[in-house]
Amino acid sequence: MIARTLRQLAFVLALALVPALVSGAWQLAWKKEEPLAPGEVRLAMAREWGDKVQWVDARARAKYERTHLPGALLLNEDEWDTLVKPFIDEWDPDKTLVVYCDGGTCDASHAVAARIRKELSIRDVFVLKGGFAEWEGK
Amino acid sequence: MGGKVSAVLRLAVAGVFLVAGVLKIWDFTHGRSATPDFTIAIQQYRLLPWPDLAVALAVYLPWLEVTAALALFARRLALGAATALLGMSAMFVVAIGSAWWRGLVIDCGCFGKGRAPTDLRLHLLYGAALLIAVAALSLHEWRRARRG
Repeated sequence: MIARTLRQLAFVLALALVPALVSGAWQLAWKKEEPLAPGEVRLAMAREWGDKVQWVDARARAKYERTHLPGALLLNEDEWDTLVKPFIDEWDPDKTLVVYCDGGTCDASHAVAARIRKELSIRDVFVLKGGFAEWEGK
Repeated sequence: MGGKVSAVLRLAVAGVFLVAGVLKIWDFTHGRSATPDFTIAIQQYRLLPWPDLAVALAVYLPWLEVTAALALFARRLALGAATALLGMSAMFVVAIGSAWWRGLVIDCGCFGKGRAPTDLRLHLLYGAALLIAVAALSLHEWRRARRG
């Protein structure tokens, strides 16, 4: 009986794998937008989270002071040691952190997000796909 | 379990999983993103050590929901399908319970996207009720298979 159950279970699991692999491959091959890397989120999704989002600006201070996303906290790699304490003081555990930098090929947001996860042990962190440029364009 | 009761239970369980799976697949195939938004919902539980696993599960689980729901109506696969659904139901209850226990403010993602946060206690109750229904159906299929 157990053997029969396991055989049927294995068959159902394998059967489901076929359309999953096909749709996954099709999505990656045909979708016009670049797929999200792990830990990334699109602007549309972040907007849906509304006031549950805490924006984190990973750009240089000069850019942050010129303009930034509403309510964004500055936390960049260059000034990490200085900025991290005020950041933690402002941090609300009920909010999801979304880190951004300039966008395009900018890696600063990924680096800051990784440090937040590792050094601050905060796991609810995402990186905004397209960065600040995505925000300005919408 | 009587024939009518088991038939109603089968329809109800299959219906829930079919709707849940189809909605997620629809989001995935008709959204602009090549990465399903269900991935976000899974990641918000903070249970998986690797982000890539969330993507893989987000692609696979909806198809497993649909396949197992339909397989409930195939006599030769009903026992395996019920077992798969039992496993998924148990997993959902554990995940939602874990999130509620840790005080996470998230959407359960039961029907796709990680939208605005929902009341996890309510979803825990729904999940427990579904788990009981699937367990009853699994037991029925087990006994039916034993009788031959």
